[in-house]
Parts: sequence; structure tokens; C-alpha cells
Amino acid sequence: MVRFWRELIKGVVISNPVFALVLGLCPTLAVSTSLDNALGMTAGVLFVLLGSNIIISLIRKAVPNIVRIPVFIVVIATFVTVINLLFHAYVPSLYESLGIYLPLIVVNCIVLGRAEAFASKNPISSSIADAIGITIGFALALIIISFFRALLGTGNISVLGRNLFSFPGLTKDPIVLFILPSGAFLVIALLLALFRWTGVMKE
Amino acid sequence: MSRFITIFVSLAVINNFILVRFLGLCSFFGVSKKLSDALSMGLAVTLVMVVAAVVTWLINHSVLIPFGVEYMNIIIFILVIASLVQMVELYIKRTNMTLYNAFGIYLPLITVNCAVLGITLINASENYSIAESIVAALGGGVGYAIVLIIMSGIREKLELTDPPKSMRGLPVAFLTAMLLGLAFFGFGGMV
Amino acid sequence: MKLSTSRFYPIILLTIVVFLSVVLIIATNTITQGRIQDQQAQQIQGMLKKMFPDMDKYTLQNEIYTLYATDQARIGYAFLATGKGYGGDISILIGLENETTVKAISIISQSETPGLGDRITGSSFLNQFDGVSIDSVKLKRNGGQIDAITGSTISSSAVVNAVRITALEKVQALSATSK
Repeated sequence: MVRFWRELIKGVVISNPVFALVLGLCPTLAVSTSLDNALGMTAGVLFVLLGSNIIISLIRKAVPNIVRIPVFIVVIATFVTVINLLFHAYVPSLYESLGIYLPLIVVNCIVLGRAEAFASKNPISSSIADAIGITIGFALALIIISFFRALLGTGNISVLGRNLFSFPGLTKDPIVLFILPSGAFLVIALLLALFRWTGVMKE
Repeated sequence: MSRFITIFVSLAVINNFILVRFLGLCSFFGVSKKLSDALSMGLAVTLVMVVAAVVTWLINHSVLIPFGVEYMNIIIFILVIASLVQMVELYIKRTNMTLYNAFGIYLPLITVNCAVLGITLINASENYSIAESIVAALGGGVGYAIVLIIMSGIREKLELTDPPKSMRGLPVAFLTAMLLGLAFFGFGGMV
Repeated sequence: MKLSTSRFYPIILLTIVVFLSVVLIIATNTITQGRIQDQQAQQIQGMLKKMFPDMDKYTLQNEIYTLYATDQARIGYAFLATGKGYGGDISILIGLENETTVKAISIISQSETPGLGDRITGSSFLNQFDGVSIDSVKLKRNGGQIDAITGSTISSSAVVNAVRITALEKVQALSATSK
């Protein structure tokens, strides 16, 4: 059990996939325009990562080295297709706004990276912990980035169609730069620099 | 003809793969440190994108759509790309060792490059014809290569500067990408 | 000879994995297929209903929706149009009261600049189209009735032109079929 929590916390902080390892950038930057998108992407990644980590950990001893990567890709792509169909059927608006970034979870370095580096070498329980930890770390990064982009770029923070709060002044004249694609680069640059400056993360 | 130009310009600059769609970012920051690397990577990605666009179009229109199993496209496309990259790698290794030495190490990276899977999915969802798909892949690849090359040129110069300690490396690279993105934003409305 | 040492074992294993994956995907598709199709039909019906609250049913012919009220009276037409905006295609649903007047329009999808061009989805821009005659769907500076959004002339005129040109085309097609 101790091991479970250790793996989980490791994924969230020390090897945070986005800030520390700088992995999985495409979805992080592309869908961070609103908190809803960030949460939807997190749900997608959690489903795929959890599923693929469990299956790969289960079959890790049966898979010969030569077909390792193809097997991993098939497993991951299966889960991505399943979540894609589920989103299309049950949350169509989210499916629309995530667009091609939902199927692109297949090539998300985080997912394949965890399969290769962790699940293929570890038992199920720690693979589950690893998947949850990594997803929380990913979600944290995504939520922080989209919080700043939505707040500064639109002046409003809303979740699931409900407006949590508006920043007076910004609603009328938002700093459009932040919601533009360039704003994503700006926010992640400043956050990375901040983390290094405060010493939370090493260079 | 004008339709092809529209698709090309739109994918190459207006909706640039790296700066606007954020496709292929992992390799973008990894290989944009040296100009020569950026050139090889840009060419390799463009090549694979065009070949992948043709092959996935053929599969999509001769198998997936006739049998009504378009929902299988993600898994089929990624397998096609993975085997394609493997074949290109083998072919180059057998025929041209100099080319292999220049490209070889990037090829495995291309399998998991979002730009390649991205273009095949875009082609499928936009319902492009085979010619349009090729033009779209070329546009996407050229846009990718251009930004990669510009970026590596800037980063070579950045190496000589002395930014604050916490900004060194990636943060400053992200800021550069932001400025490039703003510059490319000016291309909007061209088509 | 043990199976796991056989030369063919990797291929057999990969085949099994692919087979299981295909089974899982087909199963998911069977479950979700109905819902996905319903959703698409409902989405269009919902948008038409919002535009024409009196609508009871509609028919689709040559990409034109003809709408009927409960008493079978024809209350209007609706169809899709595509405009070339700043960031790409803008997809618009246009509703006509009759052959000359716009009932309302709504934006289905767009990729205009957030905070600038994407204000074409705002009601203050879209409401200007309600009840305007098709020929007057032009920007004010071109002698029409629509105010462009400040700083987003390309997006505004993309919508305006797409609405006017498509509406004129469809009206012509309607009168051709009715003759």
C-alpha cells in the first residue's frame, strides 16, 4: 500500500508529465482554452492510461520483445477508439470541442511512455497507481494553464456551463493574446520559469 | 487549382501545425536546437506525412468507408503509420547509408509525431479527395519544416545570449514560439 | 515444443491482441451507434426548432429543409451555408421566413480569432439578421443593414456574404423546382 501511494505522488509532483518531463504538449496546449476542455481531456487520458496500463501490466510477461511496441500501440489505440465513440455518443459538445485532439491521445508521449517505461515492467497495482498519479499530474498542469488562459483571455472562469466568477474589467476588454494559440506558449513559458525560480522544480 | 492553393496555404501558414494546432510539439522542442537537425527532421516528417496521406486515403476509401467501419480509422491509421515508418527506415538503410545517417535516428520518433496521425485524421474528417489529401499533407509538412527551421536558427543564436537562470532552455524556447506564433497570426485572412 | 518458444509465437500473440481489440471496438460501436445517429438528427432538429418555435415537422430535399407548423402550413425554409472567414470555414444555418426575407441565422461552427472574430456567434451580431430582406444582407458600408463587428471586418463580411449568396441561390433553386 505504501508503494501504491509513493507511485501515485511521484506521478503528480516529482515526475509531473507536463512541467517536469515536458511530455504530451500537443493536447496540453491545444485544449487549454477552457476548463471544460481541460477536464474532458483529463477524463479521456485517465480512461486510456488506466486501461492500457492495466492490460499491458497483465500481459507483460507474455509479450515477446520483438512485438512489444506494436502490441502496446494496438492496446492504446483500442482504448482511444472506445473513449472516442463514448464521447461522441454521450457528450457530443465536448467531442466537438476536443476535435482531433481526442484521437491524438494515441500518440500522446505520456501514454506510450508509461506503457513502455512503467506498466511493461511492474505489477498491476503499481501500474494503476502510476496511471492515476500521472493523470492527476497531467490534469493539474492542464487546469493551471487553462485557468490563466481563460481568466486573462476571456475574463470568465466557467465550469460545465456555470460561470464561477468574472474578473471585472477583463470581461469587457480581455487580453485576447492569452486565448490565442500564442498565449499557450506564453503561459507555459512563464509557469516553467516560475517553478524553476522558486525551486519547486530543477532545471 | 485555387482550391489546392487554399488548402496548401491554410495548412502551411494560417493553421500552422506547430504554432496554431500544436501538432508535433514534442519533436519540435527536441530537435530545434541545431539547424541541420531541423532540416533533416522537417524533410523526414514531410515525406512520411505525404506517404501516410496517400496510403491512409486508399485504405479509408477502399476498405473503411465501403464496409462502413470508419470508426476503426484511429487504430488502422496508427498501425499504417507505424509500419510505414518501419519500411521507410529499412528502405533507406538498404539503399542509402548517408541518408540513413542523416534521417535514421528521427524515423522512430515520427511514428509518435502527432503531425503525421493528425494529417491523416484531418484528411478523413474533411473528406478530402486524394489530390487534396496530398496537397494538405505537403502544406502541413512544409509549414512544420519552415517553423522548425526558423526556430532552430533563432535557438542557435539564443545559445549565445545570457537570459535569467530560470528562463534558460525551455522557457525561453516557449517564449520564442509565442513570438513566432504572433508573427504567423498575421497570415490569417489570406485565403 | 512449448508455445512461447515457437517461432510463430509473436505473430500469434499479435493476432490475438488485434482480434480482441477489434471485438472490443465493434462491441462499443454497436452500443453507441444508435445514440450517435440520434444525436445528429436531434442536433439539427433542435437548431431548427430554436429558429422556428412553431415548427412541427420538416422535409429535406436538395439540401433545403422545408418547415411546417402543426396545421400543415409552410412556415419557412432552412439550409446550410459556408463562409470563408479569417481562420477558416464558417458554417452557418440560415432560416428563411419566405422567399425574400431572412428569419434568423445561427453559427454552427467557426474557427475565428477568439475575442475578435468569434463575436460573430454573439447575439448582438446575429440578431441583426432577423427579418431582414435577403437583398439587404450586406454590411452597412456596402449599403446594407448589417453592422460589422469592430476590428473583425473579414469575419463579419464572410458571414454576410455567405448568407446573402447562398440564400439567393437556394431561393432560385426553390422557384425552379416549384415551376
